[in-house]
Amino acid sequence: MSLQKKSNWDLIKNGMFGENTIFRMAISLCPSIAVTNGMKNGVALGICVVFVQTMVNVTVSLLRNFIHPKIRIPIFMLIIAGYVTIIDLLMATYARPIYKEIGLYIQIIVAFASIFARAEVFANKNKVWSSFCDGLGMGVGFLLAMIVISFFRELLGKGELFEYSLISGNPLLIMILPAGGFLAVGLLMGFFNWVDMRFFGGKGASGV
Amino acid sequence: MTTKEMAKITFNLVVIYVVGGLIMAFVYAKTSPIMFIKAKEEKEAALKLMMPEADKIAVLGDWKPHDKHAEYYAARTCGEIKITQVKDEKTGEMKDEEECLNPSDIGYIVEGFGKGYSSYIHVLASVDKNFILKKISILGHGETPGLGDEIEKDNFLNQFVGKGVDNLVVIKRETEDKIQAITGATISSRAVTEDGVRNGVILLKEKLLGEVKG
Repeated sequence: MSLQKKSNWDLIKNGMFGENTIFRMAISLCPSIAVTNGMKNGVALGICVVFVQTMVNVTVSLLRNFIHPKIRIPIFMLIIAGYVTIIDLLMATYARPIYKEIGLYIQIIVAFASIFARAEVFANKNKVWSSFCDGLGMGVGFLLAMIVISFFRELLGKGELFEYSLISGNPLLIMILPAGGFLAVGLLMGFFNWVDMRFFGGKGASGV
Repeated sequence: MTTKEMAKITFNLVVIYVVGGLIMAFVYAKTSPIMFIKAKEEKEAALKLMMPEADKIAVLGDWKPHDKHAEYYAARTCGEIKITQVKDEKTGEMKDEEECLNPSDIGYIVEGFGKGYSSYIHVLASVDKNFILKKISILGHGETPGLGDEIEKDNFLNQFVGKGVDNLVVIKRETEDKIQAITGATISSRAVTEDGVRNGVILLKEKLLGEVKG
């Protein structure tokens, strides 16, 4: 497989830019709209995703010779749900102030297409260290996308960043509503495609 | 599919699910007692904040807004605090135990739930003896981040101070004697005001004034 020849840094970079979950692969778009109306929420969820994505990739990769191919999907689900439950319980116990803010979103990590997709496409077929790098790259890529989207939405929609007021006057309320989420994601996706075509000679299409 | 393969798949699935279940059960067993204690402490601290001048907050009874368990409390000051030395049975050390003599009610606290846009909003409201609101706090909710969660902000909650049941009405423009809705979150504002707090205060009035008359 060609991916195996890539260095670990290439794998991380691939997750962050080449196959960025949101801007290039266009998966896991739900949270990118639901949670990005403030920097704080976006960043907190992004960090949780980095952890879950990396740990799931490592676990799946460790167990890849034990998991029977016919039942790999229920097993991936258990691994993902297990990590999410563990973070949920640990945060509810030891980090209650943060949990109160983002507890709502932690449980939705179970349903992230990007985590499932990397377990199936990459970790199930590759060695532990490569899977770790791939998971880390994908997670950080997701985090970066969340930061960029929530930066624009919070700044334009509320005139604030991290709840710190920057712009006075009437903000564009639509930007923090779901409709504004679609607008922001669509425009940013277009922008990154344009950058890719203009400066890096890419084909510019999202996905494949 | 051969029998051997079926057995292999079953074994594989059972082993992984049992191990996964055990790990989660272990984490739950370790964390849940701490979580329970912390949640209880938080509730006590929240009640204390509702009525800082009270010496003692006693549970009067419970009610079921939206089929959820909620309690109401009396906040009391003690006429006199009697301290007696009691021997702790476990450690054998002597420690002080406070006893509240001649308590008098200075106000009441009610816990309530309001049906919001995407969740039930858990509120606490404290009133003085004339059922005029003193303080509101939001214990938990699942409203839209960025819009509905503005109900937690002070400039919304401070509107309640000094208002009685009849003033707990949400309107969409600036107001002195009623409650102004948060822009983009009218449903959440209504849920807090009309469903959570107002029903709570009405309950307190029914229970307490009813008892006095009856």
